[in-house]
Amino acid sequence: MLASVARSRLLPMSVPFRYFGAAVAFHVLAWAALLAGAREVASFPGGLGLPFAALHLATLGVLAMAAIGATLQLLPVATRQPLRSVGAAKLVWWLFAPGVLVFAGGAALYAPRAMAPGAALAVAALALYGWLLGRNLWRARGMPVVVAHGWAALAALAGLAVTGLALVARYEHGLALDHPAFRGAHLVLAAYGFMGLLALGLSQFLLPMLAIARPPTPRSAYAALGTALFAILLALGDYVAAAALAGLVAAAIHIVSLERSLRARLRPALGPAFQLVRASWALLLASLALALAMALGWAPPRAGVLLVVLLVPGWLLTFLLGVLQRIVPFLASVHAGSRAPLASALSPQAPLAAHRVLHFAALAGLLAGVALDASWLVQAAAAAGLAGALAFAAFFAGVLSRLKSARVPAPA
Amino acid sequence: MDFNRHISRRLHEEHEATLALWGRLEQTLALRGAKPPTEEDLRLVRDCAAQIADEVTRHFAFEEQDLFPLLAASGEGDIAELLAEEHAAIRAAARRFGELARPAADAQAGWPELRALALELAERLVSHVQKEEMSLLPSLEDLLDEETDQALAGSYA
Repeated sequence: MLASVARSRLLPMSVPFRYFGAAVAFHVLAWAALLAGAREVASFPGGLGLPFAALHLATLGVLAMAAIGATLQLLPVATRQPLRSVGAAKLVWWLFAPGVLVFAGGAALYAPRAMAPGAALAVAALALYGWLLGRNLWRARGMPVVVAHGWAALAALAGLAVTGLALVARYEHGLALDHPAFRGAHLVLAAYGFMGLLALGLSQFLLPMLAIARPPTPRSAYAALGTALFAILLALGDYVAAAALAGLVAAAIHIVSLERSLRARLRPALGPAFQLVRASWALLLASLALALAMALGWAPPRAGVLLVVLLVPGWLLTFLLGVLQRIVPFLASVHAGSRAPLASALSPQAPLAAHRVLHFAALAGLLAGVALDASWLVQAAAAAGLAGALAFAAFFAGVLSRLKSARVPAPA
Repeated sequence: MDFNRHISRRLHEEHEATLALWGRLEQTLALRGAKPPTEEDLRLVRDCAAQIADEVTRHFAFEEQDLFPLLAASGEGDIAELLAEEHAAIRAAARRFGELARPAADAQAGWPELRALALELAERLVSHVQKEEMSLLPSLEDLLDEETDQALAGSYA
């Protein structure tokens, strides 16, 4: 099964969509877990429990899941190389989806013994995905900027898997390690490293493609990547203030270069998805500013939790949902067959509009709830987030249902 | 993306010109809303009709006859098939759009259909160009040698 090299760069629809579908489902679960554990969120000291489960349902279940699906389909297009094995791409999902579920379930139930097999499945899936990604990047012929980001993200993925396994071993076997240092490294490698660098790299061709604009210059893309890598290394070396400053510079280069590119777009209407993308950039900058304030001792109370909120549901989730609502109907229209429906005709707009409002309300409520230590506000925010996730799921189901109708042959 | 082959560059320039023109029309129609068109709007519609007529005869035909077979032979037959299906959908919409936009036609009376078709064509063209820029043109960079590139560029001139 694994030897079946994809002949074309266009994968069967079931491959990316199984990842997107799982990400949509985990998105609902993540907010539901946060709602259930809302009372613990603001003063969460770390460790297992519902906030931990919600965080990992979001990072692994939504962000990594969707990133794997998106890169499996989009990277072969950028690198001009077909995927090494469609069977392996499917196997990654079969390992990863149950792995995340078991891991997060174990964390929610304070059951480290249940978390370990989940973590093992997830790490096996990520290792197989890393092999697929590495093979594709190794033979890449196009878009060197995206390829460079891919290699950097792959290195971060290896680091986050190692630190993640070490943290699980600490919970399960009492492995002696510098817990705050490992936890910090794991956070940096996961959020700014693997997910962040993939987001930076894919943005270089995906956002200009969606906006019909020329991509930023390679010089600005490499400058942002180099500075971001420097920032990550500084953070791993515990030079947090310098890391946050370098991260701010990298983010500024990235955002300014993409805004320049978007300003010169050929299609005036950007669409509401870009509201999410732009908000995500603001949240990225805010996360780095808060990290700097923390390093300088100027941080408000509960800054650690605020940082995670700005980073995960803030920057990364907002960015992902903005991009996902454009590429899901785009890819669906690609697979619609000879009747070629328009992507806009496949996209139900009402659930997306509801999702946008609810997502922004959830973020604002979550930040305010944590800042003010008001668990009722966190609870209300998580409820809004859950309603938003259900609206996004309705959008996804709507795309699939419209695609199914479009594929039915017209009566003769 | 920067292209090294003459034919890729040529097609890319035509894509940019198409998108610029249809982007202008899309924006004009969005601003106009349900109001009846002005003479200026109708001029822009007719420019787009002329452009799309040229596009579907010359640009599409060249791709279908000379480039899609190359793509199919390199193992990307499904992408070539997808692009050809989109050509068929664009051709059908462009034909009706051309009829309604003819100077002799009563464009004011047929405006609701003309407007809807214009928006549909704008979206179809954007989506089609996105796919060609992501798949066809980068593939040509790999598939064509200098000699074939020159020959194709010559035949398309």
